[in-house]
Amino acid sequence: MAGTIRAQYPSTIRPIRINCTGRVTPSLMMRAIGKGADGVIVAG
Amino acid sequence: MLEAARTPGLNVYTYSEVEDVSGFVGNFNVKIRKRARYVNNDCNGCGACFDVCPAYGYDEFNEGMNPRKAIYVSFAQAVPSIAQIDMTRCIKCELCKGVCEVKAIDFDQEDEIVDVEVGSIIVATGWDEYEPETGYLGYNVYPNVITQMKLERILAPNGPTVGHLVRPSDGKKPEKILFIQCVGSRDLNMNTYCSAGVCCMISIKNSKLIKQHYPEMEISVAYMDIRAAGKDYEEYYTASRKEGIRYIRTNVSKIQEDPETQNLKIIIQNTLSSTRLKELEYDMVILSCAMVPAKGVEKIKGILKLETSQDGFFKEFHSRLNPIDTKIPGIVLAGASQSPKSIGESIAQGRAAASSLARLMWKDKYRILLIRATVDKDRCAKCGLCELNCPYDAIKTLADGAEVNEILCRGCGSCLANCPSEAITLRYYREPQYEKQIDAILEEI
Repeated sequence: MAGTIRAQYPSTIRPIRINCTGRVTPSLMMRAIGKGADGVIVAG
Repeated sequence: MLEAARTPGLNVYTYSEVEDVSGFVGNFNVKIRKRARYVNNDCNGCGACFDVCPAYGYDEFNEGMNPRKAIYVSFAQAVPSIAQIDMTRCIKCELCKGVCEVKAIDFDQEDEIVDVEVGSIIVATGWDEYEPETGYLGYNVYPNVITQMKLERILAPNGPTVGHLVRPSDGKKPEKILFIQCVGSRDLNMNTYCSAGVCCMISIKNSKLIKQHYPEMEISVAYMDIRAAGKDYEEYYTASRKEGIRYIRTNVSKIQEDPETQNLKIIIQNTLSSTRLKELEYDMVILSCAMVPAKGVEKIKGILKLETSQDGFFKEFHSRLNPIDTKIPGIVLAGASQSPKSIGESIAQGRAAASSLARLMWKDKYRILLIRATVDKDRCAKCGLCELNCPYDAIKTLADGAEVNEILCRGCGSCLANCPSEAITLRYYREPQYEKQIDAILEEI
């Protein structure tokens, strides 16, 4: 989405493709934060 | 329609309503309510009952502009050609019963529910004309302000005036006519969309038609932009200008009626020539209203579990790459159910919808992706949260645990994210696979 609208975003963002935002479990988000991520954006 | 009704193997249910749809692609069960006509199929449409019926209603086919009897055929080409009784108008005198030679009138008839098994469904619910608020541009207040649909019926040879163009207030032939475009469309307060140029083309068509019959009549079109995008449309528009139809680029904000003559006065400014405000007087004003989703779309949406876009039309799979399919396999859209469109575009989409379903139906197999939810029945606590959260109605809680219908399931994973006992997994998108991804991309931070 950011690509199609030519938006710039920082290189420190790490996208993971998930087939549906409904698939995201709290444990996945907590794991990312536990591994040192500053935040998690769920975008769909 | 007549041809469709005569085709063997094709059942046409008119004066009927879809009540419920269950199942999935290849195996839909549709419940159809055939509404009672109070006249059985023996009716041959002879019309003897119309003559004796003493009760009157308004003819919906002619936009309520002329009366019809309480027993009537909805319009001349109706399929099947069977009379029906409007029970809100009928006085139960039973005169029709006495005059009917084939004994077709049955006052005890009740709605009939028919169960039909079908493999796939095409939604072709069409559109309705936008109805302006009472008082907007004099609509419903001044008799000579009418909508495009009413004008269509007035101009029709089988319409209330047998094709004679007269204005509603006094039945006289108008000398000056104004068409106002974009009523209820391209307006932030009503509908933001443009009705795909259909209202522009209808105004051009009707103004040309009137000009052909009455060359001395003065016809103007007040427009924002003429959207004549389509094969031969621009040429048609240019031809209408050559014939003397006047196009005024303006925004009409108010119409006032002269109480004596019932003529309509408008104050407009031509925004192309930046002239001063001018007061113009017309005998008749036609509002070219937007196309809006047909009445009952909300009900069908609930029955088929479809979505609608912001404008209220059914949401397609992808507005540019796949405007025919819906998110549900086996249910496709045709014509103005998806968005406002012209006759040609509707036919194109209808045929595309039919052939895409033919391709789907003629094989006895249905191919699915393996990205589907699977349930570990030993872990399932049968709490029913997955069933509640499934947007596709694909999961059911049974006595021995939840069960996924692999055809309905689209592999979104909402069920497993909500499963408290972690009994559901999604093939190819399992939890450890995501955990590994998260670990790997966060390693360098």
